[in-house]
Amino acid sequence: MSAPDINASVIRLDRASKFFNGHPAVEELSFSVQRGEIVALVGRTGAGKSTALHMIMGVMPPDAGSVRVEGLDPYRQFRQLRGKLSVSFQTDRLLPWRRAVENVELGLQIAGVAAAERRQRALQWLENVKIFGEENAAKYPHQLSGGMRQRVSLTRALAVDPALVLLDESFSQLDHVTSAALRSDFAALVRRLGKTCVLITHRIDDALEMADRILVLAAPARLMLEVAVTPQLRADAAWRERQHRDIAAAMSVGMTPATAAAAS
Amino acid sequence: MTDALRAETPAVASAGVSTATLIKRDLWANAVVIVLLIVGMQVWSGFVPNYIMPSPLETATATGTILSRNLGDILLTLLRLFYAVGFALVVGCLIGAAMAMIRPLQPYLKSVIVINTGIPALSWMLFAIFWFKNAEMRIFFILAMILIPFYALNIYDGIRALSTDLIEMVETFRPTRLHILRFLIVPHIVPYVLMTTKSIIGYAARMTVFAELLSSNVGMGARMGLAQNNFHMDQVIAWTVLLVILNLSLQGLVAGAERLLLRWRPEVVVR
Repeated sequence: MSAPDINASVIRLDRASKFFNGHPAVEELSFSVQRGEIVALVGRTGAGKSTALHMIMGVMPPDAGSVRVEGLDPYRQFRQLRGKLSVSFQTDRLLPWRRAVENVELGLQIAGVAAAERRQRALQWLENVKIFGEENAAKYPHQLSGGMRQRVSLTRALAVDPALVLLDESFSQLDHVTSAALRSDFAALVRRLGKTCVLITHRIDDALEMADRILVLAAPARLMLEVAVTPQLRADAAWRERQHRDIAAAMSVGMTPATAAAAS
Repeated sequence: MTDALRAETPAVASAGVSTATLIKRDLWANAVVIVLLIVGMQVWSGFVPNYIMPSPLETATATGTILSRNLGDILLTLLRLFYAVGFALVVGCLIGAAMAMIRPLQPYLKSVIVINTGIPALSWMLFAIFWFKNAEMRIFFILAMILIPFYALNIYDGIRALSTDLIEMVETFRPTRLHILRFLIVPHIVPYVLMTTKSIIGYAARMTVFAELLSSNVGMGARMGLAQNNFHMDQVIAWTVLLVILNLSLQGLVAGAERLLLRWRPEVVVR
């Protein structure tokens, strides 16, 4: 088993491919993500984004090529990545029997952090995402609004202080106003903390709003376009409109019912 | 509360009757039925000898006598019930978890449990009388054999119903199998354990009494058998009244545990 290379990119995919029933879901996908970057992987539904994410998470190995997270093979060296990588999903996936603060504590509990320190850190993290007071922290998931539940879910991912945060369509089930507020708060927080973040989304606006770099995937997941985003460009409405059009065109390449079925 | 929820609240309130009103209505109905039963007993006892139907007063006197002299029998029956249910809960949960989590064992364990559910309770009682000399062992064996399958099958189904989304979420934190068991599976099966206990507790109490009747000289079932042999119908009815009260108390106890342990569950109102 190889030791992690701390100088390596946080994520590196090298010609990674994945097939389901002979159909490629991800085809020779190569990219890397540097420390502190926020990168968006954009593609249409069924383009294989989630398969790429699952390979990065380490829940499935690539059939060809390689995937490295913090220099480690996330599938074969699964446990060694504990505390280094966390994920927030499209739905909040909160444990219904745990209060908000206890949900945030989950990763810390698995990491073996002592109870008192765990509680203190969880409450602090909840304040960071604007869930103030022990009263709100003590609520069960069903007592929270959709936006607050998603905030708790994002906090749970951040609370373990991971080097890498993966967001799998984390804002796409919320209404426009809540999603925009949460996206902006989260991007600011992640930048302030210097975390590396990969946002998986089919919403171009989410990517343009949050990411430093956008990787556009066409089906089966392969890189079609790369867009660098700066705060100045983000503020330029004409540039955004142009990029929106180009990204949408790149996303549509290669989408057939067969590739969509294989990827999903 | 969100605006959407707030908007829904008046519809819920106007559509139904409050919980307190429903409880009052049920209590009133119970009181009416009890009074009618007492009146029926009184009328019937005027026409037949007291070994067929004693008067309510004789039955009340017998109940008082039992409570003053035979409290030990009631406690013994309760103790037998508790340790058998506790044992069945633990073993049933372990078997259910093994069925759900250890794939190669699943068909064999499932087969054993399914065959067990087909064996009548009476057969277990007769087997116990042949196999064990000790009365406590007989009663424990009978109850365990009858109750374990309920827990095993419900826990098996409960674990199979566990959301794959939640499993995937917990796995992102790189847990051990013990972590998954502790943080995900055990809390998830608590409602299934409570639901099973709620369903079987009345049946288990009746089976305990039945097992005592056949296998023991002490306990509520044994005392009922003795009263029947001596033609003391007042005592048989008194023991029956006590059993009904015991059953209702046990149901209340489980309902209380459910309220305490499942307070995280939202109340659902169906309109």
